[in-house]
Amino acid sequence: MLTRLRLLIPLMAGLLLSVPMPAAAQEGGTPEPPDLGDATVVADVMEKAVDDVIRPGYRAFHASAERLAETVGAFCEAPSAESRAAAETAFRTAIADWSRIEIVRVGPVIEGNRFERILFYPDRKSTGLKQVQALLQRKDEADADAGALPRKSVAVQGFGALEFVLYGTGAETLVGEPESFRCRYGAAVAANIAAVAGELAAAWDAPGGIAEAWKHPGPDNPVFRTGREAVTELLGILVHGAEAVRDQRIETFYRHGGTARPKSAIYWRSGNTWLSIDANIEGLATLFDKGGMAELIDPDFISIAGNIDFVAKSLRRVAPTVDPDIERAVSTPEEQQKIAFLLVNARDLVLRLDTEYGGAIGLGAGFSFADGD
Amino acid sequence: MASGFHAIPDAKPPRTFAGIAHASPLLDRRAFLRMAGAAWAATLAPGGARALSRTDAVFASGFRDRAGSFGLAVLAEDGTLIDRIALPARSHGMAFSPATGHLVAFARRPGTFALVVDQGGAGAPVTLAAAEGRHFFGHGCFSPDGRLLYASENDFDANRGMIGLYDARDGYRRIGEYPTWGIGTHDLAVSDDGRMLIAANGGIETHPDFGRTKLNLDHMEPSLALIDAATGALIERHGLPAKLNRLSTRHVDLDAKGRIWFACQYEGPRNDLPPLVGRFARGEALHFVDLPEETTAGLANYVGAIAVNRREGLVGLTSPKGGRAVILDAASGRVLREEAVADAAGIAAAARDFAVSSYGGRFAESRADVAFDQHIQRLGRPA
Repeated sequence: MLTRLRLLIPLMAGLLLSVPMPAAAQEGGTPEPPDLGDATVVADVMEKAVDDVIRPGYRAFHASAERLAETVGAFCEAPSAESRAAAETAFRTAIADWSRIEIVRVGPVIEGNRFERILFYPDRKSTGLKQVQALLQRKDEADADAGALPRKSVAVQGFGALEFVLYGTGAETLVGEPESFRCRYGAAVAANIAAVAGELAAAWDAPGGIAEAWKHPGPDNPVFRTGREAVTELLGILVHGAEAVRDQRIETFYRHGGTARPKSAIYWRSGNTWLSIDANIEGLATLFDKGGMAELIDPDFISIAGNIDFVAKSLRRVAPTVDPDIERAVSTPEEQQKIAFLLVNARDLVLRLDTEYGGAIGLGAGFSFADGD
Repeated sequence: MASGFHAIPDAKPPRTFAGIAHASPLLDRRAFLRMAGAAWAATLAPGGARALSRTDAVFASGFRDRAGSFGLAVLAEDGTLIDRIALPARSHGMAFSPATGHLVAFARRPGTFALVVDQGGAGAPVTLAAAEGRHFFGHGCFSPDGRLLYASENDFDANRGMIGLYDARDGYRRIGEYPTWGIGTHDLAVSDDGRMLIAANGGIETHPDFGRTKLNLDHMEPSLALIDAATGALIERHGLPAKLNRLSTRHVDLDAKGRIWFACQYEGPRNDLPPLVGRFARGEALHFVDLPEETTAGLANYVGAIAVNRREGLVGLTSPKGGRAVILDAASGRVLREEAVADAAGIAAAARDFAVSSYGGRFAESRADVAFDQHIQRLGRPA
């Protein structure tokens, strides 16, 4: 009974939260938007977003991807239960670090197919799976060469491929055979992920590069001419990131009342689905909080930021508790209830960011990001 | 017309939907109605669009209200909001047929619905669900006789733009499709004689699996394609010069002489000042209008909508990013007027000049407590 109550309370809170409450009705009046034309108003937020969130995010991912490459390499050399456990831990850490920063779907990560090279997902027609299976069958030494991987299909280069190597059919053979082809291919994939992560960290750390452009909008800036454009981009990361959690990470395998497709869930083989989704939300909350985005809101309407934090925390409280066995998660009523809670609250998070926060800082009620329509 | 179109001359076999049309769309429609919700479905009754038949109904535009609900607004010449038609999600562009009085609102990309309403209020609105493997790109147009609806669509797995063909006389059954001979297709127009379709292929790859993320900014392929409306054959394809390969050609309109005006959004460095508007005609090369530097800067490398006022020989542009509306002389391309409009959204020819809307709720001389979407449809023959 207690368990059931524990489940119902957050669910009910979520459902209540999903009712849109215009800020004006809450506090009387309309928030005074900041002057986004004033460069100094947004400079602080952009600096914090870049220097305290985005750059550390890519650096952390780079470090954990390097560690993953080393650990998988060591596992291949001397396979044992211990070295396998170390590789699995490194895999989890790298996925968590990537999932925190993957919310940034603009800038260097969408150039040169970097995003897809790190993560080819969803693999709706099992294109990636088939390619990896064929590659493992073929045992062509060239495929175990990390230097050659960037020229191959993106589907055999990233986390999806490595997850199949470590957890997919046949993974049990890894422990029994030192330097097996399968393992060395996995190590090459991990090294490739680390190389792409290194490119991303370097691009964001490059003097005079994108970080500078983001922090100093102006007439000669190649990315943002005004502070308004820069803040719009930040809000776009948050809104599109929250939409992605709901539409691309949960609804791809579970829709309330629809047919569940547990094998479409991200990282289902390794049981890291909810770890990744939780890290996505953590990434969004970190950008909002550490980026100091609340500072742009009229202090009389600061509850708008509080509501966003509350919804993000509610999501983070429930996401890690869902059964990592996705087959079970989508077929057990209690787990289904948790997933429904996540869907309702992810929708609420989108609305609160887009409508309430966007409106409060004067971005056309957050209606458009002028992103190609 | 419906019986006259032929197979698509393309490397891939055309999808005629001979087998799919009878099974899939119905299922899709049911699934769609479940998704959209009972409250919205209940609005799909005859007369649900009665406002459109009012004599003072001149414009339509997608909107979102304060509570986050979406709909189609029907407005008078001065911008007064006459009525609203509920929509299940955000819409974008529209198509109107003066011949039949049918108005279609397309879902914003990567949306999967379109709603057809009859200006005369005859019959219940018709909901179109995107075909399997396709989503709407947000725009479309009618053949001049109103018999065919052409919708701009994405064949996302093959990454190619498509034109979905729907038979207005048969409940908008999807009867075939043509390629647009490009990727990231956005706006679609038809020549006055109905023989030629004009596709604005923005050149940006997107896929519903990645939401609205632009997947190929480092190798865009923008183009404008002229397509035979009867066969789907490519008549002419106008690519952009290499130095302008990040200039996304997104919206089009035709002037009284049949010339095609196009407006662009630039994905390159923000401190570049690329040309943003141009015109051409069949058999003619693209001609970019040489706007004054301050006008180009004011448009912020992003023209969100373009409209021609044929009677007055004017071309209007809006930029939400720049907060600007710009009016050009169609004959010379000269700038006649610029106006600061915060969050400028749609533009359409009005009885005189243009009606301009904004995300903030402005519409012509009026203001409403809604956010208007990026386009305005004039209900009637082109002004």
